[in-house]
Amino acid sequence: MSWRADLLAVWAVVVRNALMASRNVFFFFELLFWPIVGVISIGLMTRFLGITPAQASFVLIGTIALSVVNVCQLEVAYAVLMDVWSKSIKHQFLAPIGIRHLTVGSWLVGMVRGGTLFTLLAVLAWCAFDFRVLAAGPRGVAVFLFGCFLNAWIVGVFVCALITLFGNRAEAFAWASVNLVLVLAGIYYPVSLLPAPAAALARAIPLTYFLDAYRSHFGFASEFAAPIATGLALSVVYAVVAHLAFYAAVQRARRTGLLLKMSE
Amino acid sequence: MPSPAPTLAIDAREVAKTFRSGWFRPRLTDALRGVTLQVPRGAIVGLLGPNGAGKTTFLSILATLLIPDRGTARVLGLDVVRDSMALRRRLNMASGRPSFLWSLRVSEIIAFYGRLYGLSGVALRVRVDKLIEQYELKPYRRVPYSELSTGLKQRVALAKSLVNDPELLFLDEPTLGLDPDVSVRVRAHIAALRRERGMTIVLTTHYMREAEELCDEVAFIKAGRILDAGTPEALKRRIGLGDVIALRLEPAPPAWLGEAPGVLRCATADGWTKCTVDDAEKRLPDLLRQLFADGVTVRNVRVREPELEEVFVELAR
Repeated sequence: MSWRADLLAVWAVVVRNALMASRNVFFFFELLFWPIVGVISIGLMTRFLGITPAQASFVLIGTIALSVVNVCQLEVAYAVLMDVWSKSIKHQFLAPIGIRHLTVGSWLVGMVRGGTLFTLLAVLAWCAFDFRVLAAGPRGVAVFLFGCFLNAWIVGVFVCALITLFGNRAEAFAWASVNLVLVLAGIYYPVSLLPAPAAALARAIPLTYFLDAYRSHFGFASEFAAPIATGLALSVVYAVVAHLAFYAAVQRARRTGLLLKMSE
Repeated sequence: MPSPAPTLAIDAREVAKTFRSGWFRPRLTDALRGVTLQVPRGAIVGLLGPNGAGKTTFLSILATLLIPDRGTARVLGLDVVRDSMALRRRLNMASGRPSFLWSLRVSEIIAFYGRLYGLSGVALRVRVDKLIEQYELKPYRRVPYSELSTGLKQRVALAKSLVNDPELLFLDEPTLGLDPDVSVRVRAHIAALRRERGMTIVLTTHYMREAEELCDEVAFIKAGRILDAGTPEALKRRIGLGDVIALRLEPAPPAWLGEAPGVLRCATADGWTKCTVDDAEKRLPDLLRQLFADGVTVRNVRVREPELEEVFVELAR
């Protein structure tokens, strides 16, 4: 496949996802309502508990990360979910495109949505709770956001694989899986607080390292030696594994006939 | 395996597919039990059969949507499993129960698939406009898919299936559930595709008349097996159903009529005597001459060939 055809296929998915997102009120709630409610309620809770500004920033960073990863991951899952819902998935797999086009195209839209959400939540956190997200500097923010997006991509691709493997029954994974990852990655607490087996799992999650690196800009001691490098390395490994899993799931769906059952 | 003859669009041999359902005690359904079919380039071939015969399964294997358990299938000279990606560029498919992303508009759906097939810029706009024009979708180009009627959805599916100008088109029940006037137009479009572009078309249908009208060759499929295949005329000849000569006679038909040369059987009902003969063109003049000689008045005569439906009933016995 030529580079041009590759880019066009990715662009096709970008345009489709963007059009679908712009016409669905459900997407509005995902993008704005729940994340804003989350930041406001968590921010108010930090005030009620009377914790230090540093501790409040620790928790708010987690809340923002949760929202950004969630929105971006859902967008990646929509690469398959929207076609499953509308029973049109066979047309997608009848066309000469690979799974990379689906996941990259959806991810690009997810990053735009995640970036928009991050900006909104950053402004909200600053205005309402005097928490300055940009205090980490442009590089720190960019690395943190990229880490969130990478994690969202990986989880989203795994969700696509599960849906292609099990059909509509796996839909709940689209909403549930990322929360499990976020709990383990220590969104509201240091991973050192987790029980030993859970802490071991946390060390296998790339987001753990990106959160750690970002929080270090706010005065929290880093728990890991080279968090960014470790997070990136783990992300590469998981991205490859997730895509292999998705590819295998599509091939299995072609063998079992699930691809047809999920269509028309 | 020897390379297929270049004149063949499809060369499927002993294709078999079994579906498993259930986790603990899997139920096995043999959808295809060794289907062999050759389709020449530029032909319209119909797969006929009842529900659950395996028509859609076979079509889906040829379109690379399903992987066969056994057998080989080469489409446009490419293996449907090994060369699936290259093959997908050259074929397309539309079904009689189409479904697309509900909130996308007609033009957006066609453009989305156009991009997936490598179209962009002016070329994409021209192709989308042309297909919208061709399938009379202009008034609906900005209407979301979910708001279209069944007939319009079908037309969108047909337009989408031509977005890559395929060499081979699969149509799964293309007129299912359509109003008769729309069905006529869809059939005319299908015939025009072959006539104007030399496209190879494989369609599945329940409607024998549709197959008779459109197809150069038909294959009867039942319980995952091809019962017989060939041109409609050849099939009728091969099955030997004969032609039916219906006569309105006065007085009653003579006793010798059922035993006249070439007459296979005779029955009278509702004032019509229906004689099945081996060849109507050959036997009718003799029958009329003898009836006249016996003083029998022939008030009306109708001759008809057996229909594909009768051929299928005979084959399925």
